[in-house]
Amino acid sequence: MKHEIQLIVNGETRSLTVESQQTLLEALREDLGLTGVKHGCSTGECGACSVLLNGEVVNSCMVLAVEAADAEILTAEGLATDEGLHPLQKSFIDHHGVQCGYCASGMLISAKALLNRTSRPHEEEIREALVGNLCRCGAYADIIKSIQVASRARR
Amino acid sequence: MKAFDYIRPKSLEEAVGHLTQGKRVNILGGGVTLFLQIQNNELTPDVILDVKALPGFHDIRYHHHHGLKLGAAVNLQHLATGLEIRRHYPLLNQTAQELASPQIRNRATIGGTLAWASPVSELVAPMLCYDAVCHTWSPRGTRTIPVSELYLGDFKTALEPDELITHIHLPSFPARTYGVYQRQTIRHDGRRMIAGAATLAIHKHHTLTNWRIAVLGVDDRPKRVPEAEALLEGAPAEADIARALEAVQENIHPQDVVYARSDYRRAVLNALLQRSIHDIISNLQDS
Amino acid sequence: MMISRKPHVIGKPFPLIEAQKKLTGVTCYAGDETITPDMLHARILFSQRPSARFRLDNLDAARHFPGVAALLTGQDLATRMGQTIRDRELLAVERVYFAGQPLAVIAAETPEIADEALALIQVTYEDLPAVLDIEQALTPGGPQVHPDFDDYPGADALNADPQQNIAHSLTFTRGDIEQGFAEADVILERSYTAAHLQHAPMETHGGVAQRQPDGSLTMWMHLQAPFLQRKIIAQALHMDPAQIRIITGCVGGSFGGKVFVSVEGALAAIALQTEGRPVRLLLTREEEFAGTFTAPAMRAHVKMGATRDGRITAIEATYDWDVGASVDAALFHLQAVALAGTGPYAIPNATIRSRAIYTNLLPSAPLRGLGIAQVHWAIEQHVAELAEMLNMNPITMRQWNLVKGGDRLFPNFTMHANGLQTCGLQVIDAINWRPAAPAHSYHAPPGAAPKKRIGQGMAIGWSPIILSDQCGSSVSIRIDKDNLCDIIVDGVDIGQGLYAFVTQLASFELNIPVEWITVEPTDTANYPPDWEATYHNLLWSTGHALLKATAKMKRQILTYLAKVWKEPISNMDIVDGEIISYASRRRFPLLDLLENGAGEETSPPVFSVTATYRPPNAGGSIDSLLQSFAATAYAAEVQVDEKTGGVTILKLAAAADVGHALNPESVKAQIKGGMIQSVSFTLLEEMIFENGVPRSNNFRDYPIATTADMPQQLHPIVVEVPQQSGPYGARDLSHHVQVGAAPAIANAIYRAVGVRIRDLPITAQRIYDAMQAKRAEEA
Repeated sequence: MKHEIQLIVNGETRSLTVESQQTLLEALREDLGLTGVKHGCSTGECGACSVLLNGEVVNSCMVLAVEAADAEILTAEGLATDEGLHPLQKSFIDHHGVQCGYCASGMLISAKALLNRTSRPHEEEIREALVGNLCRCGAYADIIKSIQVASRARR
Repeated sequence: MKAFDYIRPKSLEEAVGHLTQGKRVNILGGGVTLFLQIQNNELTPDVILDVKALPGFHDIRYHHHHGLKLGAAVNLQHLATGLEIRRHYPLLNQTAQELASPQIRNRATIGGTLAWASPVSELVAPMLCYDAVCHTWSPRGTRTIPVSELYLGDFKTALEPDELITHIHLPSFPARTYGVYQRQTIRHDGRRMIAGAATLAIHKHHTLTNWRIAVLGVDDRPKRVPEAEALLEGAPAEADIARALEAVQENIHPQDVVYARSDYRRAVLNALLQRSIHDIISNLQDS
Repeated sequence: MMISRKPHVIGKPFPLIEAQKKLTGVTCYAGDETITPDMLHARILFSQRPSARFRLDNLDAARHFPGVAALLTGQDLATRMGQTIRDRELLAVERVYFAGQPLAVIAAETPEIADEALALIQVTYEDLPAVLDIEQALTPGGPQVHPDFDDYPGADALNADPQQNIAHSLTFTRGDIEQGFAEADVILERSYTAAHLQHAPMETHGGVAQRQPDGSLTMWMHLQAPFLQRKIIAQALHMDPAQIRIITGCVGGSFGGKVFVSVEGALAAIALQTEGRPVRLLLTREEEFAGTFTAPAMRAHVKMGATRDGRITAIEATYDWDVGASVDAALFHLQAVALAGTGPYAIPNATIRSRAIYTNLLPSAPLRGLGIAQVHWAIEQHVAELAEMLNMNPITMRQWNLVKGGDRLFPNFTMHANGLQTCGLQVIDAINWRPAAPAHSYHAPPGAAPKKRIGQGMAIGWSPIILSDQCGSSVSIRIDKDNLCDIIVDGVDIGQGLYAFVTQLASFELNIPVEWITVEPTDTANYPPDWEATYHNLLWSTGHALLKATAKMKRQILTYLAKVWKEPISNMDIVDGEIISYASRRRFPLLDLLENGAGEETSPPVFSVTATYRPPNAGGSIDSLLQSFAATAYAAEVQVDEKTGGVTILKLAAAADVGHALNPESVKAQIKGGMIQSVSFTLLEEMIFENGVPRSNNFRDYPIATTADMPQQLHPIVVEVPQQSGPYGARDLSHHVQVGAAPAIANAIYRAVGVRIRDLPITAQRIYDAMQAKRAEEA
């Protein structure tokens, strides 16, 4: 069954035709070319495909594209603006929040969701906010630091 | 995933049509387990019925006398953060905060989580302690099922295939109700549960009454252990606690899993409950 | 005129060059590649049985299923692959040797069509006896994993006993072992085990392959060792390596799992059949777990003797590795284990055996740590227990026996100055070591509320850096007006920060701004077909090649201008992007030179150099390839629940001797990453097989550490004892940060609750069982 839907992705309205069973991850990567959204497990375990769906972080592999019709979606591609990188992105570069980098875009999205809620999170809150994002390089400590520094810089 | 149709009815009447066509229909709440089952070919639906647009399914209403009504599509993140939950049902709030990850909590719905019927479903433990009742709807009408009667064991529920949970009702509880949720899992985010327990009691006239103990991972379903609860009534002494713990052990049937033996799950549950009961008693002494 | 050299960027913080791409979602991983819109999709049919004859039926239905472009089975393509021994088939021909072995590969218009078509194939298995663990493998008269072992190309190169399922065996001996034990006052013998592990990179294996009009093959595969993989694939497909081009990019984690060939061979084979249409293969997470590699499981037996005053006189240790159905990828692992098998101790009499055992399980590939982590799991608990038997402080006992600079350890290797002592002292300092706390004896009164007990433990370790024949590296630099400074390296940045290192070093050596430099992802087309580049020890190999290349480049640029200025280049230099003469005080911005040339030569110049580093003793004995030992130490403070055995790591300190930290924050980041990964290996991870079939096929059943599993405090410590011959005195950091965490945690658990766990992973249930046994013993 095909559905004509619109997604507001990174502030831009995009129209596309999707099958019922197509996931939001597939739609973003394959149809809209947003390859910053990563495929890691397809089972909601790793968080590599995290996006903000109407402001809340979700695993896009566990959402049907058709369910997201008319929703606002933010991916890592949508963080930087014409004025440059998002403070989180800058901080991840400066504080080694990236090793192999495959988890990075999902980490940024979880961090963004956290900072939308809490402007100056404690380390414990950051740990909790990232619990659904796996990093096999084990870069958690530097990711947490990157987020902490970015949250302070925003003030 | 194999092809299926996706329907998002706006009313129960509209939903009926799809439920009575003789097609294989699965209900979509947050999809956290549904999509896994479809990927593994455990389910091969013709139609996915998304209940998130049904009226009342997102309701959250609290009344100090009547208690709390939660629409079936309310997500678990709301339980972890909602003010009315934090204030009036702290045990539910505490448990919800420890559930899985923000990504999962933002998607998983109360109705879907309850209907999944996993023996290690953490949300069920506080629901059991708070005497939660499911309100359901099917083409034959509505009915109520207490959460304590919802589970038949081994992932089976008392729900008919065409029956939907519409909302959950929790009665109101006195302000001085104390609850503790404890679990032991292999990974600290809750993956691979060995055992878990929610314990609750109401403080009344320097005693603790209405004890509730709900256990996870130690039987074919999440369940209360009334045999143990009765032994704690009043101001339990060490001997009472010991007897209650024994009663728990007599009434559970844990299974061996690849990461934990049944005898170990028993030992862990015992330790968790011992701590939880002491926590509640010391709360009473502090207050 | 003041001429100032630019601030020393070596040893200063330097951001990771690759990070920006990764953080903004720019296409850089293999799965992101779309070569043409009509790209096909490959799927693989994997064996579900560990040992069986099999037949595939209904192949025509699959082949002619609408949307299918090509199908290959082992009947179409009977070929074997491997680097040293070709002990695995690209596609199984008549029988399967492990569950997860590719049986067929298909290319179709969509992955869904490919799956549907594969599902039409009927697989009939006729089960054969399977060998499922080391015990069974070594039982005389039992089934043989590879009955035709002797016919495999390369079998002669191994010290094998195929009847006993011993794929390869290495032994090192020193002194007189009998005499050593005779001198000992106490002798301790123990067995230790470690489970199969998974590399579990966040990015699953995958990539795109396309046949070119000239019949050659281009593969966009983001792998750790493209040259090795090109060679193995070419050999299996009877192609000239020059006909295969592998283009790499960002790698979403490898940890050793993307060094050897698993499913890439099937992708290459099917792409040759699709008339030039590119084919993409992306493994699912389940396939990544159950269809690529695992890291070998260990069973070790250690016997150690010491005198009453704490001198270790002898060690006899056998490390047996369950390498699954293929040993080819595990050979390097065996070498490392044989060299490091005594632990970091100068023991005069030693016999170390390192053996690879075939089983009908998923083949093994080296995992970060190369088995050295598991060696220390045994040794560092063993030494602690021996110290206790002697009533000695375990730290003192270690200090007395540690290897020292000048110790002649092997006929061709003498130990260098090292950071073993320093690492050990620094980690215990970092966790506020409480000396001489007695091991806890369990005697809590029954009925008392359960307590959580605290203990501290430590371990020291070493890890060999072996410059084998494949450890060469080549670097090309091109400087022109269009690209400024373009650097091509043959190593791949898998997240370790290679490109940042290259940029930092080139910027320093050429004295040009960092912004001018671009490091190009590896493309095998830039190298001769027989080129074998290193995939580890990159700091060493690529570092040396880069030092040579930058020196050549500098000379080339100066020579160009020296002709114009008519000055000797000995008077000239490049400072901050300007060519200067110390004699004539002339200066010429390099950018101007690139734009306009100089003197009569007005066409823009192009400077280009290539330099190669070759390991000094290529082809020599193993000990002559040994370049150094890297030192490390761990200390842990844990809290153990005396009722349930649940462990919380309160503090974890790790020290690694890196010679000279060229990019200190990056070094610390690598250490911290290694610490988290080690905690995960120690407490959480175990690959479970059920009747030979992998059952840990997702992140639910194979849990890896999350932020919730992090120790409460992490103390990464950088130790710098210069590596005399290394670039700037530096040495590689990768494997050795994995060494020591597990025994330090085990030793801490012992101090907390008085029980020793000798099987990895350390689960709460294992601690509980040990406490129960101890209780029973004390009662």
